[in-house]
Amino acid sequence: MLVTEQFKKLLLVDDDIDLLEQNKIVLEAKGFEVQTAESGKEGFELFKKIKPDAAIVDLMMEEPDAGFILCHRIKGTDHGKSIPVFILTSATYETGFKFSSSTDEEKEWIKSDGILNKPVSVDELVSKLENFRTSA
Amino acid sequence: MQHENVKILIVDDEKGLREGSKRLLESEGYCVDTAENGTKGIELGTSHDYDLAVIDLKMPDIEGTDVLREIKNKRPNTICFIATAYASYDTAVESTRLGAFSYIPKPFTPEELFNHLDQGYRQRLLLLEAEKLKEEREATLLEVAHEKSRLKTIIESLSSGVLLINSEGEVVYYNHSTLQKLDIDNLEIGEYILDKLPGQIVDIINQFLKSDNIIQKSITTQVEIRPNTELVIDATCSPVPHPDGSFAGVAVVLKNITGFKQVEHVKNQFVSMVAHELKTPIAAVLGFIKLILDEKIHVPYEQQRDFLGRSHTRLQGLLDLVNDLLDISRMELKTKQREIQELDIKEVLISTLQFLEFELKKKDISVDTTIGDNLPKLNADQNEIIRVFTNILSNAIKYNKDSGSIKINCSLKGNFLVTNITDTGVGLKPEEKERLFQEFFRAKNKHTRGISGTGLGLTIVKRIVESYHGKIEVESEFEKGTTFTLYIPINK
Repeated sequence: MLVTEQFKKLLLVDDDIDLLEQNKIVLEAKGFEVQTAESGKEGFELFKKIKPDAAIVDLMMEEPDAGFILCHRIKGTDHGKSIPVFILTSATYETGFKFSSSTDEEKEWIKSDGILNKPVSVDELVSKLENFRTSA
Repeated sequence: MQHENVKILIVDDEKGLREGSKRLLESEGYCVDTAENGTKGIELGTSHDYDLAVIDLKMPDIEGTDVLREIKNKRPNTICFIATAYASYDTAVESTRLGAFSYIPKPFTPEELFNHLDQGYRQRLLLLEAEKLKEEREATLLEVAHEKSRLKTIIESLSSGVLLINSEGEVVYYNHSTLQKLDIDNLEIGEYILDKLPGQIVDIINQFLKSDNIIQKSITTQVEIRPNTELVIDATCSPVPHPDGSFAGVAVVLKNITGFKQVEHVKNQFVSMVAHELKTPIAAVLGFIKLILDEKIHVPYEQQRDFLGRSHTRLQGLLDLVNDLLDISRMELKTKQREIQELDIKEVLISTLQFLEFELKKKDISVDTTIGDNLPKLNADQNEIIRVFTNILSNAIKYNKDSGSIKINCSLKGNFLVTNITDTGVGLKPEEKERLFQEFFRAKNKHTRGISGTGLGLTIVKRIVESYHGKIEVESEFEKGTTFTLYIPINK
């Protein structure tokens, strides 16, 4: 089974509407079904409503760590525990924010299944989803 | 021998001898005072600093030895002679014991008297010289003592910690600041300290200890004493040699650099934010271009036009951001030359509103301006003040509702020109209000969507206003409107 079929319904959360729309188009062209939200709060409401197969959340939204908080909230639900949640950010090593050095305690709290770099590469997403499927 | 100014006191109850001696000595140049009894002798001898005194042993009121004792007690450098017709071994010993220089047997010839007095005066000069030397020596000693205590006071009052450690790793000296810098409660002189010091400092000390040749240079390291940049010190370790050049110990100077480190952290944070803010619009534009160029994705012509328009907006925003950043950087570097001139607030407001006329018309916003009469002029840079009002007023337009209004009120309160700018816009939530002046903060809610901005406008306003020792305040009610109040001091 293709990952695009297994994880067909994607939740995409980003406060930058331009990037949100672009990613939606790219992912839909690949065969995903994409639903979007523009804030952590809105994202969590939509998550509960549509119960997606996977979620991609931008890190810096209304708060600099809004993506972490949304991820934590999603992973706090029964459905959230069963799906992959990726944090989307451009703020990796180029910007000095070192997410890789987040403490184990923080990682345990956030429970994200990985970091996706901006702009979203469909291939990177697909390979992350495949990894998730293999390890699950 | 010159006897000019040599002062001498004759104490004798025998008038003839007293007056005779006086005449004789005065003819030789002595300054002579006389006392006809012991009481008068003590009075004169203790109240004046005589070089010499000749005291008769037997007087009706007081014994000459008592007069001698009193004078020597008060004036130890006055050379005293006991004159007596009853010269005996015992009286000679007794008077010498009491401090007499010698005794002069009566009767005496003028030569005998001069001889005695000459010898005595030589002794007097020696005594005075010795006294002078002693005073000088004492003054020097006092100075040394002062120097030591001054040095100690200086070292104790240094804000830097100073710690001396011998080659055994024991504390030889430390000042109070050392304890604060190392975050320890106490240290004992002579105590082994290497296990109490941070590893980085111990490593340096070990380098000094293990080196065969004494290392000449100081070595500096930065140590985080308390985590999360709560206490960071800079430790400079310098080897202290013995006079023969061998290794005696290490002097460690500890400076608190927490402030610098925190500023550095804030700066790094700022650079990270800037990088993020620059990268985001570029990513958006790149994304649109990629979509249009992607042969596998079909984007209809109308949507392509939309993407190009949005790309244009993002690039314009990027340009604004770069301009704002340059302004902030100039302000920070203070390289921006200010042209201070007298400004009429009314003119400033009018020209700012003219500049914003297009935006005002587009949203059909009315402006009601009340400016008090005879307001004093501002002494400020015109561009900066226009920048302040442009940033606030363009926010009042951007975040206003269509056909809303802006009220501007300008008046003098004490030493401040106070300007209120009230809009009928989207307002701020309390948590948004708190972060309003933070770099890159932009309120994000359903009303602010699609409103562009760099997130630096109010940061710039605040910096300009504060650089004139002014103040900016904000009052706001969500979905009702916002009032900014500017206080700019007037130089009278």
